[in-house]
Amino acid sequence: MFDLLSIVFKYIFVIIIYMFIFVIIRMIYLDIRAMESNPEDSGAYLKLLNRLDSLPYRVRDSYSLKGTISLGRSSENDIVIKDPFVSKRHLMITKDEEEYFIEDLGSSNGTYVNKQLLVDAAKLVNGDIIKIGDLEFIFVNRR
Amino acid sequence: MKNLMDGRLPRRLLLLFELMSMSLILLYRRDSLDIKTVALAFGLLVVVYGANYILSRLSDGDLYIFLIVSMLISIGIIMIFRISSDLGLKQLMWLVIGVGAFFGSYLMITKISFWESLFPVYIAAAYSFFAMTLLLGDRKHGAINWISIGGISFQPAEMTKIILVFILACFYSSRDKFNKYKYADYWMMGVIYSFIGLLFIQRDLGTAMIFMGIFTGLQYIYSNDRMAIRANLGLFTIGGITAYILFDHVKVRIMTWLNPWPYIDNKGYQITQSLFAIAEGSYFGTGLGRGNPSFIPLSYNDFIFSSITEEMGVFTGIGIIMLFMILVYRGFKIALKQDSKFYRILALGITLMFGLQSLVIIGGVTKVIPLTGLTLPFVSYGGTSVLSSFIALGILQGASEKLTREEIR
Amino acid sequence: MNLEKKRILILLASLCTGFAILIGYLSYFQIFRAEDVRNNSYNKRLWINEDKILRGSITDRDGNLLAYSEASDGTARRIYKYDRLYSHVIGYSLKEYGKSGLEKSFNSYLVGANENTAINELINLINPTGVGNNLKLTIDHSLQAKARELLSGKKGSIIAMDPKTGEILAMVSLPDFNVNTLIQEWNTVSEDTNSPLFNRATQGLYPPGSVFKIVTAIGVMRASNPDDLYNCTGTVIIDGKEFSDSDKKGHGELGLNEAFAKSCNTYFAIKALEIGHSELLKIAEELGFNKKLDVGLESSSSVFPTDSKGDTDLAASGIGQGRILATPLNMLAIIAGIANDGAMMEPYLVSEMTSPEGKLINSHEQALTMQVGDIDEIARLKEMLREVVKTGTGRNASIKNVAVAGKTGTAENPTGKNHAWFAGFAPFDDPKVAVVVILEEEGSSGGSSAAPIARDIMIHALNNVDFNR
Repeated sequence: MFDLLSIVFKYIFVIIIYMFIFVIIRMIYLDIRAMESNPEDSGAYLKLLNRLDSLPYRVRDSYSLKGTISLGRSSENDIVIKDPFVSKRHLMITKDEEEYFIEDLGSSNGTYVNKQLLVDAAKLVNGDIIKIGDLEFIFVNRR
Repeated sequence: MKNLMDGRLPRRLLLLFELMSMSLILLYRRDSLDIKTVALAFGLLVVVYGANYILSRLSDGDLYIFLIVSMLISIGIIMIFRISSDLGLKQLMWLVIGVGAFFGSYLMITKISFWESLFPVYIAAAYSFFAMTLLLGDRKHGAINWISIGGISFQPAEMTKIILVFILACFYSSRDKFNKYKYADYWMMGVIYSFIGLLFIQRDLGTAMIFMGIFTGLQYIYSNDRMAIRANLGLFTIGGITAYILFDHVKVRIMTWLNPWPYIDNKGYQITQSLFAIAEGSYFGTGLGRGNPSFIPLSYNDFIFSSITEEMGVFTGIGIIMLFMILVYRGFKIALKQDSKFYRILALGITLMFGLQSLVIIGGVTKVIPLTGLTLPFVSYGGTSVLSSFIALGILQGASEKLTREEIR
Repeated sequence: MNLEKKRILILLASLCTGFAILIGYLSYFQIFRAEDVRNNSYNKRLWINEDKILRGSITDRDGNLLAYSEASDGTARRIYKYDRLYSHVIGYSLKEYGKSGLEKSFNSYLVGANENTAINELINLINPTGVGNNLKLTIDHSLQAKARELLSGKKGSIIAMDPKTGEILAMVSLPDFNVNTLIQEWNTVSEDTNSPLFNRATQGLYPPGSVFKIVTAIGVMRASNPDDLYNCTGTVIIDGKEFSDSDKKGHGELGLNEAFAKSCNTYFAIKALEIGHSELLKIAEELGFNKKLDVGLESSSSVFPTDSKGDTDLAASGIGQGRILATPLNMLAIIAGIANDGAMMEPYLVSEMTSPEGKLINSHEQALTMQVGDIDEIARLKEMLREVVKTGTGRNASIKNVAVAGKTGTAENPTGKNHAWFAGFAPFDDPKVAVVVILEEEGSSGGSSAAPIARDIMIHALNNVDFNR
């Protein structure tokens, strides 16, 4: 019985190991491809205005906006900012046809667009400054 | 948005592999099972899966290296357990400790930032380790490698390897600090050569080669004095030839590498048994539990690769080589992406260590190059080996993150 | 940064190359070397099945039992029906001293493991038998016995084969040894300076002498004019060295056919220079020199020097001396190939492997090793070989009522007495058997000592062997 299992398994093991290897290779390849496209080349993005090294947590200097993205402290968001002044689910940016809209999701400390507190959803225009907690982003949309 | 299926697939494949192989091995050892073994086995499963998960939450850096290592340790533990349940249990324990050490060293590297300024400390530590080995060491398998303290034996040389990487990282990243000493490069070379010499005295030729390799590799990249590199290579060649002439045990290694068959029942015994095992395995192996890895001396240690190839086939052997290749690739990638020179060299040194060690030992047991007494990182049995490999991996993991907190010079 | 990056990438490439080399070597090893390595006597894995499995039996072409195993209270004993007759062909299988001969090369079949495919592995599991598989040889027992009888008292080898199929009908090498008492006599046998353990048929390397003129003759037909007359005066000096015939008076004017029949040394020595080293090398290699002939036994490759060392060396090669060395098996393959109109068949010893229940597992597929020469060359060569026996140096090989063809050879041996060779086949019109006889250090000529033995072998073969085609 054992021998039979061992013989059958040996083929399965080789298959699993190679699947493992190839999945990893593929994932790495996809990562490279994604990284090669700089977020700043395609469509709209948020660019960080603060100095990176003045921040005690991890932030990227630009985030590309493809379609709908959520921002907040929780890891479920598309953009994760681990700042205590940022709420778990802080804001949402949606794309409707060619326009981008920003909406605060009921955050504790609020979202400021061009120094104005955001109450309803607002349309984003190229050059708008978005402030959440200590962070300042500029919305760039070259179209 | 991450594609969940893709992200979790390798982990799931790994889990499947571990479950199937563990069940098979437990079936193989059904006569001597106890609850402790089963518990530890599934414990490891949980630890590996959990560690991968925790890491993905904790670290912004490379997630592949730990994944690859997880597969390597799985293949290793399965084989070790198949060969001996005693050793299997011990290895299980070391693996769990190792994973802990991994997180430990990862946190130390990312949270603490004065590693660059400890150059003299590293030098002192290295020499102390060597002194310790020479004074307190036991001779095992012809080499004075081991120290036994209270029943646990460990190899200081494994730790010294990592210290070497730190020394070189300090040296090359703050090169200008050393400019006040003329011929700093040559002094460094001298220090390294003294290490290698000490290893030679200990008869640990394999580790000596690794030291040489790591140093030469980093020197090739970072030394501004290209003469020093040529001097290094020249001395190495002369040293090698002298060693061959002077030392009998070097001669023996070369003879049995070129043609072991006439010495098949004494000096050539190990390598020929290894070749028999590899030949027996064919493409898919004989099947776990159906081969005879116990015919190979040190089947769980230096020759673990041959044992695995016997029972799991040449395909699995090639798979292991490919896994190391990807690990090395990721290590270099991590180094290239790292802005800080110190951490970059750290990453390079550690990757070189993994890469060279696996190349040398796999090459040795397949008779591509002469045999040396080295372990296959993560796969071979051995507490110190597992521990130092995980610590090194943790450092690499740390170096894979954008360490934005270092001082800007 | 750029220079650093470049160097880092170079280092990465070197490491990856290292890994690629390992992968390549492992693959190469598995494909080409694994089988040979496995069959090494020191591989304990070969022996683990020994006690569990009853080793298969070996029979000759007519089913006569030659070797078998029987079990008595738990242990198995290997019994060889004939003490010495098959000591080189079948060999032995001993725990103490390893395996040799077909016992070694077919070990995995004899111990039960069939082809190592997935399906067979599963079959073996589901239906395990404690008995190994059987081998059926191409050897004809009575011919083998006759060959040994004819060779007894001498050193050397006799091999006989069917030129149309490649079946080896008899293979004897003397001195030989007693397999049934080998364990007790190991020290004497292994230290005997006459090397009884050595299989002269496949491993023995001797200067072929005049038998090599077959090769030179083909060279003459290709690179020179075979009908040109050469005046043989008994000796000729080439680059200071003298080449002569045994008949110092000289043969007079002769063309290829006559020179061949009379085995004129001076003719072939001169002609070798005309043909040139590279052409002669090419023909020799076509005929199997410098290549391995694998019949499942330890064998050597015949040697034709690949480098050219001047005229005297070339002339010596032309008459089968100098640095040329040939195995009896290779010479047999050549003569059989010519007998078979240029189609050199691969010689083999094992025709079938059957399971203990008698089911056929594997049978040898007859293979054409090489098609040598064109029709006219071969036809002319055959005529020349016929002439050797009819009127030339091979007269002692003639059989009443059967046309025999062949070539004699008396090879000079730098370290001792001459070797006597004969290679031939019969009947001329429809060859059934090809034979090679070599008498090591016999001292007399091929025509006088080796040819009569060849004749007797051929007579016995034609009368007794069942050629079952």
